[in-house]
Amino acid sequence: MTETVEEAVEEKPRRRRITSLEILCVVLVLAIVGQGWLADLLDVKAGEDGADVVKAIQTGATIFVAVCVQALPFLVVGVLISGAIAAFVSADRLRKLLPKRAALAVPVAGVAGIALPNCECAAVPVARRLIQQEVPPAVAVTFLLAAPAVNPIVLVATAVAFPGEPRMVLARFLGSLATALVMGWIWARFGRMEWFADRALRRLPEHHDGRSRWGVFFETARQDLVDAGGFLVIGGLTAAVLNVIVPRSWTDALGEQVLLGVFVMAVLAVVLALCSEADAFVVASLSTMPLLPKLVFLVVGPAIDIKLFALQVGTLGRRFAVRFAPMTFAVATLCAVVVGIVVLPL
Amino acid sequence: MRRETQNILLVLLGGALLKISFSGTYLRYVKPSHQWLLITGGVIMILLAAVSIVRELRGNRDLDSDHGPDDDHGHSHSARSAWLLVLPVLAVFLIGPPPLGSDSVERAAGNRPEVPSTEGEGSTVFPALPAGDPVAVTLSEFSSRAAWDRGHSLDDRTARLMGFVVQEGDDTYVARLAIGCCAADAFPVKVKLLGRELSHLADDSWIEVDATLRPGSATRDNSYVPSVTVHTVRGIPEPEDPYEH
Repeated sequence: MTETVEEAVEEKPRRRRITSLEILCVVLVLAIVGQGWLADLLDVKAGEDGADVVKAIQTGATIFVAVCVQALPFLVVGVLISGAIAAFVSADRLRKLLPKRAALAVPVAGVAGIALPNCECAAVPVARRLIQQEVPPAVAVTFLLAAPAVNPIVLVATAVAFPGEPRMVLARFLGSLATALVMGWIWARFGRMEWFADRALRRLPEHHDGRSRWGVFFETARQDLVDAGGFLVIGGLTAAVLNVIVPRSWTDALGEQVLLGVFVMAVLAVVLALCSEADAFVVASLSTMPLLPKLVFLVVGPAIDIKLFALQVGTLGRRFAVRFAPMTFAVATLCAVVVGIVVLPL
Repeated sequence: MRRETQNILLVLLGGALLKISFSGTYLRYVKPSHQWLLITGGVIMILLAAVSIVRELRGNRDLDSDHGPDDDHGHSHSARSAWLLVLPVLAVFLIGPPPLGSDSVERAAGNRPEVPSTEGEGSTVFPALPAGDPVAVTLSEFSSRAAWDRGHSLDDRTARLMGFVVQEGDDTYVARLAIGCCAADAFPVKVKLLGRELSHLADDSWIEVDATLRPGSATRDNSYVPSVTVHTVRGIPEPEDPYEH
């Protein structure tokens, strides 16, 4: 990623005749011209050649649009918060709010996650903004993991999905919070600043008069939306393809095998990329499965999935994401299993 | 990518969100309560782009990031990824993907009726069904009751079921997808139609069925898919909201 960025920067001085604006126009014109042809292509009656493929593509397209449409409003909320932090909350004020030592600041960030009902897509740009405002990365990372998983909206949804099992709510809360805190402490001890992409660390100039503060707010929010939006689309595409390819019958074949179940559900949580408000309903409907694998699904999903990984690569950098994502996966699975064994009825 | 292009893309994307929210097609992708979220999101997107366009026109470029390598703010990296925003725009405006249908049902193995409680295979006594003959029930509720209701509230009742046709092998099903949040988390519920020759019905055509449950037909072995004896079948137009919630 960083190489391509530098290339792009170096190419700049050469004057390009064709700008992105013209390319966009050509793309749109081609799309409008090709629409009829595309519609014919997708209109295959059952039984004809390729009907299965066309149906699979349609299913994938619907899921792709659904993931994008469902996540975009939450991403907008995230970039607004991110813009507001950039414009109105100075680095000094944030420093005063947080305990000096990262090890103590991590639990504060975990608790802050409870109070900010935030979808996982919204948390990524906010976390980057916190790092830019000189909040220790360990704290930002804790917030990133805690905010989508332990907020009241998600917990209420879980309670509704598991009406006969209130301990599931407690287990989800503890498992997710533990994941966020453990990752925060690990990051405080072993994390390196150079893993973040340069652009994630670059400070915005401080503006002091009110007008340019609003300017910073709008420009930051807009830019974050464009950046993260593109990566959200990658995540949506991947989730749609996997959703069609990966047979859901995986979960049905598992039956009572707890160990295998834990592993498969952890992988499914990453692959399906469900939003944290809905995943409880999906998992509650798997009637034959024991509770422990279900808990693993609920703890891993909001912490790391394919859509979040794409967003992290885009906003925080590839070197960060390839270290952070597998680590989160392992820690979240482990935390869920430990909490599940302690809290859930066997 | 130039700022102008980014702004146009944002306007298009916000426009796409508004289009599906006002035309009702958003129900193919998300649950009804998301409508105001989509509208708010779309409006804010267009607003952010509009503010940027106005500032551009006024020549206020103090935060501009797209001109020259001496740029301090470093946003040129968005050049490539931002192009992807074109995909959802094209998908919504040109294709308008249809609601999930028989293909999704065939991809899944069986029913997963919501388990009312975890004790003892979830079997429990459900509240009584409303009066009426036939009584209209959703497929989710029908299959939950068929699988778990120890009170046998469906026995000897004619139920009116609504859904689309799925032909699997020699069997005909009426099916629907239930979603928790968006279509990505959809799971199918289906009911096997018996007692009439229905193989002429086309996949994905919407029907209304009056039928009676065959008690004990939803078992663990058939993934809790109940069977019914069909009395009447009527073709109906696709409902505005294709999913159950």
